[in-house]
Amino acid sequence: MRDLFYFLRHIAIVLLLGVYAANAQQPPCSLTLSGSVADADEKVPLGNASILIKELERSTETDEEGHYHFYNLCPGAYTFIITHADCDTLSVRVRIESNLVKNFLLPHHYNQLSTVQVLSARQSQELQVREALTARDLSESRGQTLGEILKRLTGVTVLQTGSTIFKPVIHGLHSQRIILINNGVRLEGQQWGSEHAPEVDPYVADRFVVVKGAGAIRYGSDAIGGAVLIEPRPLPTDQRSRAEVNAGYFSNNRQFVTNLQWEQNSKTDPAFSWRTHITYKRGGNARTPEYWLNNTGLQEFNIAAMAGYRKPGYRAELFLSGFSTTIGIFSGSHIGNLTDLQNAIASEKPLQNIDRFSYRIGRPYQQVQHYLAKLKLFWSGSEGRRWQLVAAHQENNRNEYDRALITERPELSLSIGTSSLDLLRETTRSNTRSGELGLQALYQQNVWSGSRFFIPNFRTINLGMYGVERWQLGTYSLEAALRVDYRSLTVFRNRNGVASQSDHQFLNPSATLSVSKKLNEKSQLRANTSLAWRAPQVNELYVNGLHHGTASFEIGDSSFSAERSLKQLLQWDYQHDSSWMVDVTIHANYIEDFINLVPSLPATLTLRGAYPTFRYTQIDALLYGADIRLEHQWSSSWKAGVKGALLWARSLTQKDWLQQMPSHRFEAQLSYLFATQRFQNSYVSPSLLHVLRQTRVPGSFVDYLPAPPSYTLVNLSMGTDCRVGKRNIGIVLGINNLFNTRYRDYMNRFRYFTDEVGRNIVLQLKWKL
Amino acid sequence: MSSIKEVVMLALVVMAIGSSCKKPSNANDENEHEAINKVVLTFSRPGTANLVFLAEDPDGDGGLPPSRVDTVRLAAGQNYAVAIQFINIVNGVEKDITPAIVAQGRSHEVFYIPTTVQLTVTKTDRDLSGFPIGVNSTWQTGSAAIGTVLVKLMHKTGIKGPADSPNVGHSDLQLPMPIRLQ
Repeated sequence: MRDLFYFLRHIAIVLLLGVYAANAQQPPCSLTLSGSVADADEKVPLGNASILIKELERSTETDEEGHYHFYNLCPGAYTFIITHADCDTLSVRVRIESNLVKNFLLPHHYNQLSTVQVLSARQSQELQVREALTARDLSESRGQTLGEILKRLTGVTVLQTGSTIFKPVIHGLHSQRIILINNGVRLEGQQWGSEHAPEVDPYVADRFVVVKGAGAIRYGSDAIGGAVLIEPRPLPTDQRSRAEVNAGYFSNNRQFVTNLQWEQNSKTDPAFSWRTHITYKRGGNARTPEYWLNNTGLQEFNIAAMAGYRKPGYRAELFLSGFSTTIGIFSGSHIGNLTDLQNAIASEKPLQNIDRFSYRIGRPYQQVQHYLAKLKLFWSGSEGRRWQLVAAHQENNRNEYDRALITERPELSLSIGTSSLDLLRETTRSNTRSGELGLQALYQQNVWSGSRFFIPNFRTINLGMYGVERWQLGTYSLEAALRVDYRSLTVFRNRNGVASQSDHQFLNPSATLSVSKKLNEKSQLRANTSLAWRAPQVNELYVNGLHHGTASFEIGDSSFSAERSLKQLLQWDYQHDSSWMVDVTIHANYIEDFINLVPSLPATLTLRGAYPTFRYTQIDALLYGADIRLEHQWSSSWKAGVKGALLWARSLTQKDWLQQMPSHRFEAQLSYLFATQRFQNSYVSPSLLHVLRQTRVPGSFVDYLPAPPSYTLVNLSMGTDCRVGKRNIGIVLGINNLFNTRYRDYMNRFRYFTDEVGRNIVLQLKWKL
Repeated sequence: MSSIKEVVMLALVVMAIGSSCKKPSNANDENEHEAINKVVLTFSRPGTANLVFLAEDPDGDGGLPPSRVDTVRLAAGQNYAVAIQFINIVNGVEKDITPAIVAQGRSHEVFYIPTTVQLTVTKTDRDLSGFPIGVNSTWQTGSAAIGTVLVKLMHKTGIKGPADSPNVGHSDLQLPMPIRLQ
């Protein structure tokens, strides 16, 4: 109890004294050393690695995310000995004069002979412009959707459909223009629609990385916006079994979520390990500051299982997962025609709303299932070669239940199946040179049924081949990559009882060049140039129908050619111990034949009324902007950070702005860190988000409603690891939109109808057994 | 290594099963199957032959605009019993969906909104809650005039009341028909 008071007192200190304490002098022997330990091969974090400071005879173990901390160190030079069951022991001497972040990479036993050199090449500079989610961001965003989790990264925003559907947007691009790699396999669902959220259970993953530029070429040619890598933590190797329980509650929509994980490394055969996951989530209607949003509940049930077999020289991994969700869509948003839309917009509060809480989900709603089976083999050959084979199959079933005229069936069912085979060979040629060669094959088919046509049936075959070569030349690192993709698309239609078939073929080369220059011990400069092609997707070619959510009639064009993108990234990063961190990334993306949905006249006339018509057209576009991050830690207890993401998006053809692009946004966060014997890794952290009004909207198109005004949100988060008996319980308490601010966001397609959700108090618990 | 081979075989079998269920080459018909693309209004008055007026859009939403919208010609100062029929046409095959709409009467209501002509419309049918549906109604026509009557079918699951404005819910049909009272 006394500890609890102590904890609360710390919170009070932060809230009352603010930054006063920031200037406090640092006493001697109060330095903190922290960082992470990861696998040198795949850079995955290593849990339970032991770190010993030889001179002090002090040691600690990394947590499951691979993080470690030493507190109250005196300045000086120390020898660190890092050991892990699977890896070679590493001994490193580190000088500490101020708080320091130090990351270690450990080589695997089985690679001992062939990879001593690999290590030195691999521990060279990071070439890609990428950003990973921190452990704290991850624990705060658990239980949310993938889009909401990723928007914590600079330069990533979300495209929203109401309060339930979130799609990640990287530098203004989304849907088919970014690739989601879930556990080493490209996620293949119905990504083309803005109301189609990625089918991923974030609890299965442990690492979320956004690759903003050139590095995405490994995963496919069409990643002209970037790639998102979602990876689980490695299977256990310490001959123990472990369970983890996660629970979360979200006050706004009274949503609860639970996740159970159980993993084991066999005692009888230490080569064998496995893990299972179960997640259940249920939420009701969300609430804006002034009213409930009818029919915005959701329900999700996911299971996953993975098993691995690991021997010197090879490794096999089988992964199976099932994802199933039912998402309610705000009932006031599905409008009948243009008149309904105008009535809905003219009304301050939504017209067709039932203003009360309920968990019930009625029409309109979506029901989505996604299944993945994956087999990964990894073996090391002679002459520094390592091979990796990934075979996977995904099935995605989507049922859309609109406001039906009479039927009980879904208006639209889409069923997409994808089989893929990826082969990768990595070669270490010397201390300073390494390369990769990859082959990818994909077969996909999509079948629709129901009473409402939107996209036709199709069959796709994609064959890809790529090569990457990496050099280390003094303070320079260099990476060049080439890729060629062949795609064949066969479309099957049936209009007025007449069946037809059409074929499209695309041959697309892509290339990237990345250079990194180490300016000094503290700073690095990176430049990425990538040239990528994206074949038009079937919706852009063939869509022809009513989009109920937007009351618009969309028409594709089957004569489209591929989009060609030239993206340039320039990043400067500076890290002075752990006291200063600066990261500035400037990006520019020139896209030729950018496929864009634009309004067109006349409106489509039907017996239901009139609908505005939108057609896909190809234009030349230029998107440019900057991501800026700045962090400063004054002492072991005070830390602050600011982030900014700026974006300009032009249509060069129409000499006008592009529509539906995120506006500039800024974030500031202050953290007070402390620890007591009972409450470890504790923090209290208020933050501020400011989003500017989007003033760069197309002048040629009069939107139904002008872009909403700028807004500022205040959020508060606090967390601690509480010791109860011999166990640790991780507790995170967050209050999003603390002041219950009423606002609308330009990137939410439902901004025409409703405000954004109001205050949301979030409690998350993590209990390791 | 033999265990790995078995796992590979198993995975390939699973893939083969997974991808062989549905054939994309057997495509579904693209015409919307449940839209209303024909509306028939039947007017009856004792002692006279029934009057029938209709509107249709045989190729459905998009494509060509509605091919026929009749002018409703009625006698001035009379009482008519009116029945409306909602029909779906796919590839020339007609399906009457009026009974299904009446069966889901608590989710639907038909409105007739006159402009520049005088009409008094009384809905004569009721749903299970006792609220009007409007598939059957009586129209009392005013003096001779020319104008339009907007026929609206509103969809309002869970929000229907006894005397809603024509703007409550979503439009399943919004059809302005010219009208002449003579």
